[in-house]
Amino acid sequence: MRIVMAVIRREYLQKVRNKWFIFGTIAGPLFMIGIIAVPVLLELRNDERESRIAVMDRTDVLYDLVEERLGETLEVERVVYSEGAAQELDRRVEDREIFGYLVLDEHTLSAGRAVFRSADTPSTLRRVWIRQAVVESALEVRLLDASDTENTRALLDGGEVDYQGLGGEAGDGNDRDAALLAGFAGAFMLYMTLLIYGIQVMRAVLEEKTTRIVEVIISAVRPGQFMLGKILGVGAVGLTQLGIWVLSGLLLLTFGLPYLLAVQPEFSEIQEALDVIPQAGGLVLFLTFFVLGYFLFSSLYAAVAAMCSSDEEAQQTQIPVTILLVIPMIALAPIIENPHSTLATSLSLVPFFSPILMFPRFMAGAPLWQVGLSLLLMVVAIWVVAWVAGRIYRVGILMQGKRPTLPEIVRWVREA
Amino acid sequence: MSQSSTNHASGSDSAVLLDGVTKQFGSHVAVSDLTLEIPRGSIYGLLGPNGSGKTTTLRMIMGILRPDRGNVTLLGESSDTVGGRVGYLPEERGVYKKMKVIEQLEFLGEIRGMTRAIARKRATAWLERLGLPEWAPKRIEDLSKGMQQKVQFIGTVIHDPELLILDEPFSGLDPINQDVLEDIVRDFHARGTTIVFSTHLMEQAERLCESVCLISKAEKVLDGDLREIKRRERSGAVAVDYEGDDAWLGGPDVEAVEPMAAGVRVRLRDGADPQALLRAALNAGVQIRRFEIVEPTLHEVFVRHVGDEAAAEAGLPAGYEGLGGAA
Repeated sequence: MRIVMAVIRREYLQKVRNKWFIFGTIAGPLFMIGIIAVPVLLELRNDERESRIAVMDRTDVLYDLVEERLGETLEVERVVYSEGAAQELDRRVEDREIFGYLVLDEHTLSAGRAVFRSADTPSTLRRVWIRQAVVESALEVRLLDASDTENTRALLDGGEVDYQGLGGEAGDGNDRDAALLAGFAGAFMLYMTLLIYGIQVMRAVLEEKTTRIVEVIISAVRPGQFMLGKILGVGAVGLTQLGIWVLSGLLLLTFGLPYLLAVQPEFSEIQEALDVIPQAGGLVLFLTFFVLGYFLFSSLYAAVAAMCSSDEEAQQTQIPVTILLVIPMIALAPIIENPHSTLATSLSLVPFFSPILMFPRFMAGAPLWQVGLSLLLMVVAIWVVAWVAGRIYRVGILMQGKRPTLPEIVRWVREA
Repeated sequence: MSQSSTNHASGSDSAVLLDGVTKQFGSHVAVSDLTLEIPRGSIYGLLGPNGSGKTTTLRMIMGILRPDRGNVTLLGESSDTVGGRVGYLPEERGVYKKMKVIEQLEFLGEIRGMTRAIARKRATAWLERLGLPEWAPKRIEDLSKGMQQKVQFIGTVIHDPELLILDEPFSGLDPINQDVLEDIVRDFHARGTTIVFSTHLMEQAERLCESVCLISKAEKVLDGDLREIKRRERSGAVAVDYEGDDAWLGGPDVEAVEPMAAGVRVRLRDGADPQALLRAALNAGVQIRRFEIVEPTLHEVFVRHVGDEAAAEAGLPAGYEGLGGAA
């Protein structure tokens, strides 16, 4: 055991001290900070000028409604129509006092058409908001039923259909959307991490093989022990990195998300998804799927590296293994769309696909016995794969030169 | 084919015991029915041309490869359990290039069951002995090739093994470092360590080994105590440097006389007694400056058993003639 610990320790320290690891680990949170900070900063900067617009309302009924809708993100100023008012506004735009101005008239009321004049074209998002505000306001005026403003407003906001499941599985529609989003994000993260750390194991094994250090080591350590030590070492590196990311991500979202939502309310689903994950025990299951999936795939990648003698060869040989990760990613969208279909159930029970497919299905409310069964099947698969991979590793690690053919690999496994 | 003094390996006095060991890779037989015994405390040479099965044999001794047939016993046990008592230097030497010298040596000590602190102490002492103390905190990739080889050697012996297995340890070393390594090997030998090394350089083996095993094309040609082998393999040649008449050279025992730089080389018929020739010379009143029973060099022994062709493959010029006896 002390020997395996020495192997794990070496692997861990060498990887963690590597400058790319440090860079990647810091870059992740920085990227997230960027995602939150950039819109907030842009918005702050915009406050000075770009968020100031004027509205010249010639209908007299639209201004309040438009102001209410645009006021959340823009500073709106009312300009009364008069002869020469347009020229005055053009001048203010040119002088950069305001970003632009909106002209509302009877065409706005009748057909939802309006004019926005500015020096620079507004951003795509802002164009959508302005158009939406104008059209919704016009509709509201035309639909306005003095006795029932609130319902008209709800109707204009897109209405709501409550999707109710008879078996009680579907649950609340909004929660379900958030759960699906969390499931999708989780599946994607599992895909990325399994791929990244699987390839890391492959590289580490290949490096030892090409530098020939491995022969010295397996003269003292049994190949199986050594492979286990490497997998655990790289896995510990992975957990360290994931831990740093998750922790800094949670801190960031706790303290940063309110600012992001203040400027971009359309990201509110992130908040909902975050609320859903811990509730459903998703975090624990996510980690379980990561650990099991990592053992499964890193064994395969280690065997791939043991068969190859160069980076180029390994790049080719790992394709079948990587395809095992890509297939569930292709199936992910239809399965999230329809998580209870036979196809979804059967695919998600295949051990190689389980991490990426069963996690989102769990979030979508798949029966617990299926989740349990997939975990059990994965454990069995790990046992079988590790046994086969260990034998391939044992023989392959000393082979130089030609890559073995499939029958040769079968012989290795039988004879090792 | 095998002319062996140890056809039936037995006894617990041996450090390594191979009994009928065979290894095949696909249809290629790398080692065929090899039986040998390496006495404890000896310096043992495994000799043969490239591709004759030396490395495969050493790997089976180390338990890195499993023989298809036959048994390997190492220090009285199976090779699975003795990792910490054996030091192995493979022919293809590798290092973790990015690791610091001292950390790599610590790691190599740890995987042989040492604690890190002790491994560090031993590594430091060895680095000092080999003149590299200031390189301890440097990355291995910053070292010259010769220095890297020294570090690899320290990694092999850091746990003070009972048995040292060195695969072509002298290849790639400059003459000075070859001498350094030879000294260390003799040093370990003096402390009772068993040393097994493979080489295709017959002269080196002759200088260092007490016992040898010659293999060619996967099979053992002969093995045993080097002096005994030489005695057994005497060709019946005598080198004589003399002054005087040469009539005594016409006796019935003499098959051929070849002139040499100093004196002649006399080849005797099978079974002839060199002492009789010496008596004949003295009786003839010839003044003898040198009279030497020529022992064959390892190379000559090898050539006699496997033919010139295989010897040439071993890396020595065919027909190389040396008056041996340096054993």
